[in-house]
Amino acid sequence: MPDIDLFRFFRYMLGWTVTIYATIITAQSLWGWYVYLISADRYTALLRRYVIVQALRLRFKAFWGDLILCILLTIAFFLLWHAQGILDHIEDTMKAINPVRTITHA
Amino acid sequence: MPDAPPPASRLPEDPARAMPPRQLRDLPTDELRTLADELGLDIFRYSTRHHLVLAVHERHQLIAALDRDAMLDVIKWGRRPLPLNAPNEQMAKEIVRIKSMRFDGLSHDGLVVLAKLRGVTVRPSDDVASLTRKLKRQESFFAKLSRKRRSFLGSIVSNIIGDTDSADDYQFLPPEQSPEAPSSGTPASSRPASLKEEIEEAGLLGGIAGRIKKSADFYLNQKLDEIEARIDRKLSEIDQRLSEWRDKEVANRLRILKITLWASLVVAIISLLYSYLKVYFPSFFAG
Repeated sequence: MPDIDLFRFFRYMLGWTVTIYATIITAQSLWGWYVYLISADRYTALLRRYVIVQALRLRFKAFWGDLILCILLTIAFFLLWHAQGILDHIEDTMKAINPVRTITHA
Repeated sequence: MPDAPPPASRLPEDPARAMPPRQLRDLPTDELRTLADELGLDIFRYSTRHHLVLAVHERHQLIAALDRDAMLDVIKWGRRPLPLNAPNEQMAKEIVRIKSMRFDGLSHDGLVVLAKLRGVTVRPSDDVASLTRKLKRQESFFAKLSRKRRSFLGSIVSNIIGDTDSADDYQFLPPEQSPEAPSSGTPASSRPASLKEEIEEAGLLGGIAGRIKKSADFYLNQKLDEIEARIDRKLSEIDQRLSEWRDKEVANRLRILKITLWASLVVAIISLLYSYLKVYFPSFFAG
């Protein structure tokens, strides 16, 4: 019988499901906008230019606080991911050394 | 040699408008006469069709050789509705329609252009006074009489109506869309035309109709300006609202991203704690 860690299974399941869902939703939305704005008629061309103008007029100063927080959170997330990888590696090594007892305390 | 092509330096600017004699000769008689009349030629002076063709061709050459700025001076002086980038021939046709004999405010070059188009012989030594004299001498007796009658009628009508306005400056029409057209369309000032002068030039009905048309045009322009200003205001308002909506939308998306990141971080920390406990305290999970 395979040794399945339920928490790890849940974690991977959640991670994959949410990532795939978010990717599909984002791709769908971007594709919808692309199809809508690619049309060659006059009014869509006008709208396309207007969207570009709106994007260029966006002032990042109004959102810089949130942006910095998002960047810091992303960095923290990757650090935790890295730590998780190290711990997983330690666990695998311990299992390989002593299959019965995972770790021996000094 | 009527069939010989004119010298290149004297060719008109627009070859489509100024046709060579061969093409002019192919025109139907009534069209040729209309063209000659529009160009200010007295069609009854030319006994044969051949003479008329030659006269139209010569008139085209004369128009092409005229100074453009001087023609614009005459257009301003005559208060004709034309764009600044109108071709020479169109300007010449408008100048020909100007019947006024009041030359106040018209420059020397403008007088030269007017005199040439009215068929007056102009010498380089002619000054403003002599040009004015020649132009007045060129007017026929009956034309003068008719003009005086119209002037008298005009003064009566303007006294009855009370000619108070017409102090507005002359403005060219907006320039036509053409790649060769000059881009500047600055309005130029000129003398105001009184009702009396208008009646003197266009007759009683023509003068009054012109004045009514001018008032209607002014009213319409005013209304169009108001509508345009209202549309501009509305567009600015829409733009402002869209900008606000865009800012709110970006802030909202960032908030959602922040919440997602926090959630991911919490899950990652729990997962890390779990792994830590599992590695260092396996007894918790034993059995």
